[in-house]
Amino acid sequence: MANQKNQSKQKSQNDAAFLNTKITRLQFFFLIVQTQIGVGVISLPYNLQQVAKQDGWISLIGASLIVQLLLLLYWLLLKNTPKQHLFMSLEKIFGKWPGKAVTLLYCFYFIAVGALILMLYTRVINLWMLINTPKWILTTFMVTAGLYLISGNIKVLARAYTLFSGLMIILIVSLIYGVRNANFIFILPIGAAGLENILKGVNEGVLSLLGFVFILIIYPLVEGTDKEKLKIIFYTQWFILGFYLLVVFSTFTFFGAKEILLVPEPVLYMLKAYEFSVVERLDLFFISVWIVSVTTSFTTYLYMAGKGLKHMFNSNKEMHFMIMMAAISLTLALTFGRGEQLIGQYGDIVMKFGYLFSGLLPVLLLLIFLARKKKLTGSDSK
Amino acid sequence: MRYRRRKSEQEKLMEEQPGSEADVKEPAQPSYSQLSRNIEYLTKALKHSNDLKVRVLNDGNAALLYFETLADQEKVQEKIFTQMEFGKWDSIAELPNGKHTEDLEEALKVLLRGHALYIEDGNKKLSYFSVTTEINRSVEEPENEKVVRGSHEGFVENLMININLLRKRLEHRDLTIKFFRVGKKTNTNIAIAYMDGITNPELVEEVEKRIKSVTADTILSPGFMEEFIEDNPGSPFPQVLSTERPDRVIANVMSGKIALIAEGSPTVLILPSTFFMFYQSPDDYNSRWFSGTFIRIIRLMSFLIAIGLPAMYIAIIGFHFEVIPDDLVPPVKSAIDQIAYPPFVEAFIMVVIIELIREAGMRLPQPVGQTIGIVGGLVIGDAVIRAGLISNLMVIVVALTAIASFVVPSHELSTTLRMLTFPLIILASTLGFIGIVFGIMFILIHLVKLESFGNPYFAPVSPLRLQDLKDTFVRIPLFKLDNRPKDANPIKEQSMGESREWKRNGKSKKSKQTKKSK
Repeated sequence: MANQKNQSKQKSQNDAAFLNTKITRLQFFFLIVQTQIGVGVISLPYNLQQVAKQDGWISLIGASLIVQLLLLLYWLLLKNTPKQHLFMSLEKIFGKWPGKAVTLLYCFYFIAVGALILMLYTRVINLWMLINTPKWILTTFMVTAGLYLISGNIKVLARAYTLFSGLMIILIVSLIYGVRNANFIFILPIGAAGLENILKGVNEGVLSLLGFVFILIIYPLVEGTDKEKLKIIFYTQWFILGFYLLVVFSTFTFFGAKEILLVPEPVLYMLKAYEFSVVERLDLFFISVWIVSVTTSFTTYLYMAGKGLKHMFNSNKEMHFMIMMAAISLTLALTFGRGEQLIGQYGDIVMKFGYLFSGLLPVLLLLIFLARKKKLTGSDSK
Repeated sequence: MRYRRRKSEQEKLMEEQPGSEADVKEPAQPSYSQLSRNIEYLTKALKHSNDLKVRVLNDGNAALLYFETLADQEKVQEKIFTQMEFGKWDSIAELPNGKHTEDLEEALKVLLRGHALYIEDGNKKLSYFSVTTEINRSVEEPENEKVVRGSHEGFVENLMININLLRKRLEHRDLTIKFFRVGKKTNTNIAIAYMDGITNPELVEEVEKRIKSVTADTILSPGFMEEFIEDNPGSPFPQVLSTERPDRVIANVMSGKIALIAEGSPTVLILPSTFFMFYQSPDDYNSRWFSGTFIRIIRLMSFLIAIGLPAMYIAIIGFHFEVIPDDLVPPVKSAIDQIAYPPFVEAFIMVVIIELIREAGMRLPQPVGQTIGIVGGLVIGDAVIRAGLISNLMVIVVALTAIASFVVPSHELSTTLRMLTFPLIILASTLGFIGIVFGIMFILIHLVKLESFGNPYFAPVSPLRLQDLKDTFVRIPLFKLDNRPKDANPIKEQSMGESREWKRNGKSKKSKQTKKSK
């Protein structure tokens, strides 16, 4: 009995330390943006084009609307469970042991996504820059960078993401440069792909937007009222939508419908074509900056996985779990990252789980919460 | 209250026994009434040191003790014997400029401080007089922090003169000085200076706590203190700014930071420091703000060149040749084709050569140092290219890097930058651009994580403080810098009110007049 008491005390202290760190709304903005924008940028136009043809951008807007609706539901849950992050709510609302089980599933999902990010990143690097470099070197570098980032507290993460966001200016400028020779005729006629294809494209769009689960974990740390936070959440989605639309438009109008199907990384092919008097091959610089965005996405997933595991075991040795998770992601990435096909299959499966973990489970959480609201809030006030 | 504090500064220094907790444990030895026992105790405690002079007075009934090497003979004459010749006082012990103690341990300490100790037979009271010699360098411009315009004063090795230089510049009652003694054996006198009412009291407390926790025998210079009190000794970046310029110290003290001054060294530490403080120079504020901004941007560019240029060059030559525009390819190719070594080895050799030349030239007398520079820079540089060991492009790159690293106004940071090129060179030669990206990412993450006395080191860029950026990459006109930077969490943020109303007033008057006339 005493032991249990001790444990719960330690746990509450752990959570209190985490919940007491405050991050500003600007940092919140960049934490979300940097998490959501990542590996997807380079191949997004290709994926959209494959299903929705030149109407891919409509799918993207649709996907973003769905995500925004979902985030509104998130917000309803978060507003009602103040001072609680995702893993705490899971245990509170689902009950202790089911909650722990779901937490574990979440951790597996997060680390699986992290491994997927590692695979996709090494694939691009091996294809575009370092053809002969072994995969394990590239992945190890990224995992170490992620671990180093995490080894501070969440504040360091927030500061670093804000700092790295400055680099996005380079990405945006180089894309805007691409719009210069746009052929808007390539996206006409609008709606030619048909509603069915556009809806299929929405699926691709949603997958590229995944990562917003992070909001469920860091929301309680953000300074400000719930309304202000909601505003920021919407701003992030609009910013990301704007950025992705820029990516899609610049490539769609540069290549045209048929050409794009030949280039799996349209953004890079587009940048490769430009020549400046000072440097050539803008794509190499784009990749270099893009790596930073990928690292931040990977780090977030690693962080969430480690955080969940730590919460599940009620431990205060955060770094141990982080290192463990990093090792798992590294092995996953190296075992599944060997063949093009294998990556594709793995990616498909993991991405589909995204709907479960980012969509279904949080909504379920909200529904159960609303159904048992009185009981849950009642026990809270005791 | 405040007036008294200022007046008694000198005495405070003499009597303050800081680290009081440690001092409490030190034995206090009450003095004896017999002269011989007193002298015996003292000479024994001082290990019969030969420079301790014992002058027997009054036919052996009294004695004056002092260290010949510490005391000034003329002062002894002037302060003690000349006074006695006036005949107003019967005994040296009654002289008004003497102080008294009945503790022999205390007497030992004042002897070591260069005072003269007067002991009478049959009197327990020991009197001592301050007759310390002061051998001081004159106040000169510091060699390593020269400015074109503005003050040319620099700190010297004497703590009192240094504090005097500060007080002269900041005549305000809020300037607070606190003395400490550190180093169990060296007993070094150090002081912190801050503005009461601007500096965050928590910061002061933290600094005091850290200073008091130092238990080393030897504290020779602020460099020792720096290592003892800084947050993160494992970092290559200096977390405490050191300067020899009083104006720079005052500027920082006025923005809520604490200055740490030590006896015996002209270097003053500023706590806490941020990365961008190392890129500021008093010159920025002495020149017009346009040129100040321009120079500051050049300096920050030098940071990128210093850590990134050789790595970038190696990455391009080794991995990404396609980045070079077509017209540049033939000259670059012809330059590197004849070289036997891979670019990594080339760069490594060249960087080491430059470090050798720098280190050799630094400690030698000026004429010899210049010769080394010429022999090293011109002769070796030229010969190395002709011998085909190193490409001429590499020489350009490494020389530029070395120059860029010297642009930083701070010596420590410049060394750090030159050290950081090595890991980046290695990364660039193994992974090309990817290596550089990861290398720089690691450096940035490290900078973001660093804290100096609880304040983020990479502020105001991370965490982003838009207000403070006005005086970071650019320097906007001084009258617009109306808030103190938040680097040190000052409790009073506003640093000025309206300063240039006359301009606005003129306008508003005009408009009023025109209104009236209408």
